[in-house]
Amino acid sequence: MMPVRLANLAALLVMPLVLTGVINRVKSLWSGRKGPPLFQLAFDVVRLLRKSSVYSSTTTPVFRIAPYVLLLTAAGSACVAPLLGSTPFVSFPFDFVWLAYVWGLGRMAIMLAALDTGSSFGGMGAAREATFSTLLEPALFFIVGALSLLTGKHTLHEALNPHLDGGPAFVVWVAALVALTIVLQVETARMPVDDPATHLELTMVHEVMVLDHSGPDLAAIQVASAIKFFVGASIIATLLNPWAGSETLAAASLNVAICVFVAILIGTVESLIARLKLRAVPQYIVVAIASGVVALLAAAWRAGGAP
Amino acid sequence: MPSPLPLLVAVPILLIGAALSLALRANRSSAGISIASQAVATALVLANVVPVLRGGKPVEIVWAWPAPIERIPFRVDALGAFFLSWSLPMTLLGTVYATGYLKPYFDRGRHGGPHYALLNMVSVSFVLIYSVQNALVFLLGWEIAAVAAWLLVIWDYRNQKIRFAGFNYLVSTHVGLFVLVAAFMLLHSKTDAMDFRSFGEFLSKPTPARGAIFMLLGVSFALKSAFFPFHTWLPRAHSAAPAHVSALMSGVIHKAGLFAFLRFTLLAGRPDEWMGWTVLTFGALSAFFGVLYTSTQRDLKRLLGYSSTENVGIAAMGFGVGYLGWSWDIPSLAVAGFAGGMLHLLNHAFFKCLLFYAAGSVYRATHTVDVERLGGLAKRLPRTAALFLVAALAISALPPFNGFVSELIIYSGLLSGRAPSGRSNIALITAAVMLAFVGAVSVLSMTRAFGLTFLGNAREPGLHVNEEEPVSMLGPMWLHAFGVVVIGLAPGAGVAMISAALDLFPFASSSSPVLDAFVPVVWASRALALALLVACGVGLRRGIKARRSVTWGCGYTAISPRMQYTGSAFAEHFARIFESFLPVLRRVRAPEGVFPQRAGHVGTHHADPVERRMFEVLGQGEKFVAQASGRISEQPRFAFAAGLIAIAVIGLIAYGASDR
Repeated sequence: MMPVRLANLAALLVMPLVLTGVINRVKSLWSGRKGPPLFQLAFDVVRLLRKSSVYSSTTTPVFRIAPYVLLLTAAGSACVAPLLGSTPFVSFPFDFVWLAYVWGLGRMAIMLAALDTGSSFGGMGAAREATFSTLLEPALFFIVGALSLLTGKHTLHEALNPHLDGGPAFVVWVAALVALTIVLQVETARMPVDDPATHLELTMVHEVMVLDHSGPDLAAIQVASAIKFFVGASIIATLLNPWAGSETLAAASLNVAICVFVAILIGTVESLIARLKLRAVPQYIVVAIASGVVALLAAAWRAGGAP
Repeated sequence: MPSPLPLLVAVPILLIGAALSLALRANRSSAGISIASQAVATALVLANVVPVLRGGKPVEIVWAWPAPIERIPFRVDALGAFFLSWSLPMTLLGTVYATGYLKPYFDRGRHGGPHYALLNMVSVSFVLIYSVQNALVFLLGWEIAAVAAWLLVIWDYRNQKIRFAGFNYLVSTHVGLFVLVAAFMLLHSKTDAMDFRSFGEFLSKPTPARGAIFMLLGVSFALKSAFFPFHTWLPRAHSAAPAHVSALMSGVIHKAGLFAFLRFTLLAGRPDEWMGWTVLTFGALSAFFGVLYTSTQRDLKRLLGYSSTENVGIAAMGFGVGYLGWSWDIPSLAVAGFAGGMLHLLNHAFFKCLLFYAAGSVYRATHTVDVERLGGLAKRLPRTAALFLVAALAISALPPFNGFVSELIIYSGLLSGRAPSGRSNIALITAAVMLAFVGAVSVLSMTRAFGLTFLGNAREPGLHVNEEEPVSMLGPMWLHAFGVVVIGLAPGAGVAMISAALDLFPFASSSSPVLDAFVPVVWASRALALALLVACGVGLRRGIKARRSVTWGCGYTAISPRMQYTGSAFAEHFARIFESFLPVLRRVRAPEGVFPQRAGHVGTHHADPVERRMFEVLGQGEKFVAQASGRISEQPRFAFAAGLIAIAVIGLIAYGASDR
């Protein structure tokens, strides 16, 4: 038990940096650049930590606390996520509800910080984030509901390890992958939902909320986003991982490799596809909800009249 | 058997307190008498109630009374004890809050005696409703609560709008009363008795009337607790009433509807499966529509009113799961449903009262609760802001606060996957998805409400902010916030209050293991709370010597508070997605010509669609009846048809009556 926890902790410290680096490297390779070093995020964080923050005179303590709340909630969600495809740091029944609601807490904190600046950009980003999340949560719960019905398990890491026997279970698996990928793209502010590299405030979602943060606060937000991406990627990886559930080195390495693959995939999508119009984003998220419904129907079919 | 004396003494003490506070001239002494009598009564009631909650025998007494009632059985079992144990203290806190909130009115010479007397009467009604086992006396308590609440709502009766809101409430609550009377009459006609025990004996047998009575009772209790689509009176009443009255109505008084629902659930015994589905659907619809309407409100108290519809819906979803689990004989499901629902009622009372109190102190300081005019109050009213934020996080069911605990228990029922058929599993998981959606929208609404009111800058430049709120207002708020945090971090305290009530249900022998499954979550919540405290410390420290500048405006330097994001803009994107449920009335006067002479104007207004539709239907119906009755006198054929219909109806009623 203990070594797995330590391994999880180590992964939590290293992998967010690696995955962010991988995405950026993939994007620069696609656009014909050499790209920043793999651990650029670590250098950025160190640089930001050495600076001091500047606060708008409009803001209240809410603005100063929010980045750390975001960081905490990202770490809190990482505690229950199967980062290495097996037992997470802690696990309890219905920990996926905890994960969703802890993310909700972080989201609320950063939205309030955005409103705290009194700038219309902050309000705009917060409103978009809030609106998209109302569609995202149903998709997430359809998927975890379907998976836990399929597996009969109520913890995240067990539900993500279904026994693929026959058609319906396979349908659930595919639909879950589709929906979780969309969830990952929206939650971590990736293309085609949000453009993390844009320089036009009017089109931003996530970045526009953190325009006013600086110094260590900004570092906390960046690390939180990276952790969130790792959590999401590891959930997809566990679902893909044929050895998920076993606490062996091979299974863990495969999980890490799949995470890197997911990062490459996200980076590729980001390089090749344009951002959706804001009006079209809800429709894109509805695809995730629809896959969730398909997954639930298939799971119920598979479970049939079982007691 | 425990002595019922304290409970019986509490009622006359409250009545004497009410009479004295009416009679005394000085507002200060009225308030003192009211608070003192309520405090004594609360202490007495708690002396009776606490042993029951700890698993003791129910407190019972039968009073002989002249005809037609003959005997009044009082009986405080664990269910009544649970409701009494927080209703009376919270009413007391509301009365304390009132002394601070109403002070500006008193300074202008208003007499507060009747108001305090009514608050005492509310407490009396709780003692009656939660303890009496006779339908007639129950109706008396029900009516005292309704009329007292109406009179409390129209405190500012000189304002026509407030009188209308009060009247609207009075009519709605009496429609509910008629339905309840109908149900009781039906029961009386079947049992020839008025006490709940005989009602229970009849209801526990499978008869055709059982379903009809269930529906009648359900509608009546749904009207009392403001379920969708019976909620139309609620936002009006809540925005018109003084803050503490809104708080007590939403948090405490209207829980009587759900109490009565649980009381009759216990009386009726094992429910049919369709009843469970009905309750679950009703609850899910209430939660869904309630939360949708919160997203677009301008009036802070109206917003909180709609959120009551949402939260009673969530509790009813829990009860629906409980019903289903009971009817399927799956105790773990039933326990999760009823425990989650009851705990959510208690949690809602804690954070909703806190939110209304905070809204009240905003109103007292600025004389408005219109979020489009407010802003930046966190700097002027920091304590109110912090308390509002705690309650806003709790009502959005975010960890580590109490709302999360009760919703998690309800989720554990919905997502258990233990339903006997695939179709019921689909339905339960879909309900869980609805609950997730409700949670996310509630985050949106609460972010909007808190962000617009307390953060940024005041949207109206001339907004005048009075001094910080007095202790009499802050004290009750702190106590409510304390409850929010305690149940969030130590749900055992909340579970201890409901466990005796849960044991009343016949399936409940397995209640504790089901709830033991949540121990790890509690530790996770505690860890999160500790870490949040550290984060707050870090954030606050960092602000001390930090450099200050202006908000980044993308290079634009002449930013004014009017350029902040507005409430309607915040909700616009969301409201557009759900346009079919959130109809918007738009008034647009576009600028004309190349050089417009007059300024353009755009106004949007989100009216309550149910209320609009109701008035439309009523209007059409009135027109139809007017036309038809006009034609009756003109054309004998219509008169003949109308006569036939009347005879048929009377005949049917006579036939139904002879059935006994």
